[in-house]
Order: sequence, then structure tokens, then C-alpha cells
Amino acid sequence: MASNKKVLLKVIILGDSSVGKTSLMNQYVNRKFSNQYKATIGADFLTKEVTIDDRTVTMQIWDTAGQERFQSLGVAFYRGADCCVLVFDVTAPNTFKSLDSWRDEFLIQAAPREPDNFPFVLLGNKVDLEPRAISAKRAQQWCQAKNNMPYFETSAKEGLNVEQAFLAIAKNALAQQNQSVDLYNEFPDQIKLTNTQKSNGGGDSCAC
Amino acid sequence: MDELPSEVDLLIIGTGFIESIISAAASRIGKSVLHLDPNDYYGNQWGSFNLQALLDYNPDPSEPCDFRNKSFSLKNFHYEWLMEDQKEDLLKNSRKFNIDLTPKLHYCRGDFVQLLITSNIARYSEFRSVTRILTWLNGQLELVPCSRSDVFASQKVSVVEKRVLMKLLTSLDDILDSENTHNFKKFLESRKLSDNLVTYVMAMAGATEHTSLGEGVKSVKRFLDSLGRFGKTPYLFSMYGSGEIAQAFCRLSAVFGGIYALNQQNLISLDSEDNRITSLTTTKQQIRAQNYVTSLEQCSEKFLRPVKINNYISRAILITNKSILPSEQEQLSFLIYPEGTERIINVFELGSLTGTCPKNYYLVHLTSKQVTTPQEDFKGALGNLFSGSDQPQIIFSCYFSIPETSDLDFENVPENLFLCPGPDNDLDYNSSIQKAREIFEKMYPDLEFLPRAPDPEEIIIGD
Repeated sequence: MASNKKVLLKVIILGDSSVGKTSLMNQYVNRKFSNQYKATIGADFLTKEVTIDDRTVTMQIWDTAGQERFQSLGVAFYRGADCCVLVFDVTAPNTFKSLDSWRDEFLIQAAPREPDNFPFVLLGNKVDLEPRAISAKRAQQWCQAKNNMPYFETSAKEGLNVEQAFLAIAKNALAQQNQSVDLYNEFPDQIKLTNTQKSNGGGDSCAC
Repeated sequence: MDELPSEVDLLIIGTGFIESIISAAASRIGKSVLHLDPNDYYGNQWGSFNLQALLDYNPDPSEPCDFRNKSFSLKNFHYEWLMEDQKEDLLKNSRKFNIDLTPKLHYCRGDFVQLLITSNIARYSEFRSVTRILTWLNGQLELVPCSRSDVFASQKVSVVEKRVLMKLLTSLDDILDSENTHNFKKFLESRKLSDNLVTYVMAMAGATEHTSLGEGVKSVKRFLDSLGRFGKTPYLFSMYGSGEIAQAFCRLSAVFGGIYALNQQNLISLDSEDNRITSLTTTKQQIRAQNYVTSLEQCSEKFLRPVKINNYISRAILITNKSILPSEQEQLSFLIYPEGTERIINVFELGSLTGTCPKNYYLVHLTSKQVTTPQEDFKGALGNLFSGSDQPQIIFSCYFSIPETSDLDFENVPENLFLCPGPDNDLDYNSSIQKAREIFEKMYPDLEFLPRAPDPEEIIIGD
């Protein structure tokens, strides 16, 4: 049964530079926030175990590593995503305008089997900042037109709604994977060259 | 839109395999790297394309520019639909294709696999085992036995031969010192191996009738050393095609601060003074770096004298409707096809499980040293493999020649400009990794080449 297997969910975060993609990941996984803006140095992917309906799943959240800055994310980045998180900055209208092209780019590059049902989640980040440029209503309208994409207003800085948003992301990713795994596993028997399994305590490694 | 930085340690132009390794290695040790590509895709001639993008591929853009060197572009690029009625269906599935210009295999214990593991870049890529190795003998396909048990299970090898072969394979180390003959095939024949066995061992070595004993033994050893690690054969293939590999190195570079900008069509010139490159001029700015790395393909003629390309690699890409040797499960086949006495055609047959083509189709790559033209070079092999009524049919074919640039030397190259050749005709990446390492060591002689990258959890985020 698929449910007995260890589940790994690949989640990718997209959006314009400096909307807070890396900060959201760090806040969620490490409960840390850094005000210094470094164009994503050292951010790769972070993993976190979450429990959904009594199932423990490992969520692997992939950062763009700054390659989005000059539209240079290669197709390899998009492979095998189970959920796509779109992020914009509620104080920067341009980052909201870019959402359509990020969504299109994802659908083109990742080429999911059922593009209409692929799970996206939208995060409007930096709600702790003023002045606000994009209202919640406007963001929700956009989401409605996109097959009722779930929308969360977050502050990576204050940790607001971050946990809830990622839980929804994990749920949607899992639902997507359940569907596709039940149909057929597209690429079984892949080989990972890293065969040393780390003995991770299995929980949150945050020591703060 | 953001501006590119105006000063970096290392400026790289081109995202081919060798440039990408150098980028990762330099970023990894803390150098600031700006990595540009005039193309809007990763990989140059090492890249992979969906079907539509392959049809649109234009090796010779009409407008000449300082960053497209026509001498090094693909030649003889030509494609054809042989079954026009399948075209629509295939183009609808265009994105399910990942078609390599330069497909490669990896020895399970080769330098490439080792480098991916030691540098921790392995986390960005998945692989599949080549499931069987085939060769062509007496007008038909033969399975090459790949392990002790394969050899012993084979009905084509007699008990006596099995003993002779095992003895031979276990004593390879001593052979080189003790033999008089310098020819690999003559040596095998002198050991009283049957034609079958000679063919198998020749296939393991990828040897022709002209291969020297030393080369042959080295290759067979490499083959045998890589057995029993992953899967049934010594070879791995990259999921979604070899084009993913350059991107994995670029990702590592980006994670360590490398800045990426593809589709840079506003580059004007690399400026030099006193035999050093001083800056890159674009339509918007000047960018200075201590060192410059560029692919030959994207390097101006003015730094590359003399240009004299002696050898080309013949390539063919086919889409077919079934396997050359159908079996119950989908196979990933590597066929070593001896063509005449001095040439081997390497044939990879990839099914949908590799993520390079849709279900119910096969993607077939043929690669060989070029003798005349790709069409002529593969004519015999294609005739033997794809013309009978029970054989697979070719739906689509594409041919081109890749200039073999790995052994070129240029005079008076500016001292801080490092040139990366394009793909070679080897089965694997070993020589290219070596080339990348050499360039890295010239720039940064005392620094470590791709030490293990920390896992994400090991990176502590500062407050």
C-alpha cells in the first residue's frame, strides 16, 4: 500500500526576487528570520516532517537559490514538484502582477499531467509592513479565477500564518501525490547516488 | 529589472558541462561568480530539448556576433518526419521529450559518480540503470553477459570458454607486462576465445580492431570495476537526460552565491589589453572580473587562432515505435555496434521510464566518430536495425555533426581567459571533468576542487 511507504513531498516556492521566499522557508523550518537581504546565499532546500491525518510525511521545500532573479531557473528545478507555492509582497504591486507569469512558467516547465488540478497555494507576504498595495480582496479574486487557489496572508518576520500556510501546502501536495501514485508511479526505481542515510532524530532540530 | 554586478571574481560565459562544473567549484570556495549565457537554455551543446525546441533549434543564427562562434556550432543539422501521420501526436507530447544533443553514460564507479557523491551534488539528480548491453554479431543483436552469473547463465558460451574467460578477466593486471602483441583483438583471439566471446569482450571495451592492448585492457577493467554497484550493468543514465547534469552544477553554484543570467543577447565584447581580458562590455554596462571562462562556441574568433577543426562527431536522434529487442519490461539499452573495422557506434535506446520520451515510444541516440556525414555514417546500422517488417519503425530522425574540440590548442590566448571545449566522443564525462579541474587549478592552484557541500540542515542562518 502506498500509505505505508515513506512519503516525500517536493514543494517549490516561486515569486519575484525579495518577496520573502527564503524567509518564509526559514521561518517555517527553523523559526528564524533574518532582516539582512542576501539574494539567497546558501538557501537550497529545507526538509520538515509533518503529520497529516496520522501520516508522517517529509516535506522538502525547494528555494530558487536566486536563479529567478534574471529569469534563469532551469527546467531541472521544476522536476517532480508535488505543490507550487506562489509568493508576492503585499506592499509591492509588481510582484503581484508577476504571479500570472510565474504560474504559467510553472505549468510550462513542470508540465504536470493534469495542469487544471495541480495544487498551487498563494502567499501574500510582508503583511507586517506598510503601506499595503494589494488588498486581501484583490488577491482572493485572483485566486478564485485560478481554480480557487488557497490564499494566506503571511509575515515571515513575525511568523504570522506561516505554520498554517505550510500545513495547507503539505495537505495539497499529499493529495496530489496520492492521486498520481494511485494511478501509476510514473518513474519507479530511480537511483539516488547518496546512499548514506543520515541518522536524523526525526524531529525539529531547532535549538533556539 | 536588476542590473548585473559590475565586478566579480569570475565571469563565465556559456552553461555547457565544463563551464558549469567550474562555476560550481569557484562559487563553492567563496569566489563571486557571474554566469551568463547568450542562449535562453542551459547546456549549450550539452543541453537537452523538448521535441518542439529541437525542431526550432538553429545552430547557425544569421546575425554574426562576438559571442557566437560559427566555427564551433553544430553542422549538417537536418531532421525529417518519416511517418507524417504521427507528427501531431508527438508534438502534442513535445514536453515529454528531453532530447540530448550529447547523451552520456556514467560508469557506476567512475569519476563522475564519485564527484557527484563527494561534492554532494548528487542530491540534485536521479539516475536509472542501463538494464542491458547489446552488441551486433553475425547479423543479429546479442546480449552481452555482464556478470559472473550472466556469463555462466549464457547458453552461447561453452563451459570451457567460461573458464578461459573468467581466468582472463581475473588476470587483467598481469597481462600488460607479459604480452607481446599490442593489438587487443589479436590478443583475445590468441587466447583461443570463440568469436562470440571475443565480440563480448570487445563490446565491454568499446574496442575496434585497431584498439591497442593497453587501451582495451584499461577499458575492460573500467567496465568490470563498475559492475555490481547499481543495477545489472556498469552504467547509469541521468533521469530526464544528460542535459540535467549541467543544471545540477549550476544550482550548486547558485546556492553558493553564483549569479545566473541566461538569454543575454546584449553582450557586445570581451575587451583585452596587454594579453589580459579587462572587461565584458554589454549594451548597458561594463563588467570586470579577475578571470574569464568561456565556451569555445561563445568565444570571439579574435582570441581563437588558429581555428582548425579536424574531427567531428556524427549524431543521429530517432523516435521509434518499439524496442530493437522487445521484452516484457521496458529496457534501457546500450548497444555497442561495431561498424567496419575502425569505428564503434554507441546506441542508447531510451524508453519512457527515463523521462526522455512519452510512453509507447523510444528515443534512440546514435553517436560515432564522423567519417563522411552522419546520414552516411549510420546508414548501415539503421538498415540492419530498423528496416525489417518485425523491426521498429523510425517515426522521426534528426542528424547533425558536433565539432570535436577537446584537443584543440590556441595561440596567444589572454592569460586570464580560459577556454572550455565542447563535447567529446567519449561514452562518459571523465575527460570533461578532468578539463574542468585543470582550468580550476590554473585559476586557484591551492584551493580544493568541489569539497563536500554541507547539507541544508547544516547551514546555520545568521540573525
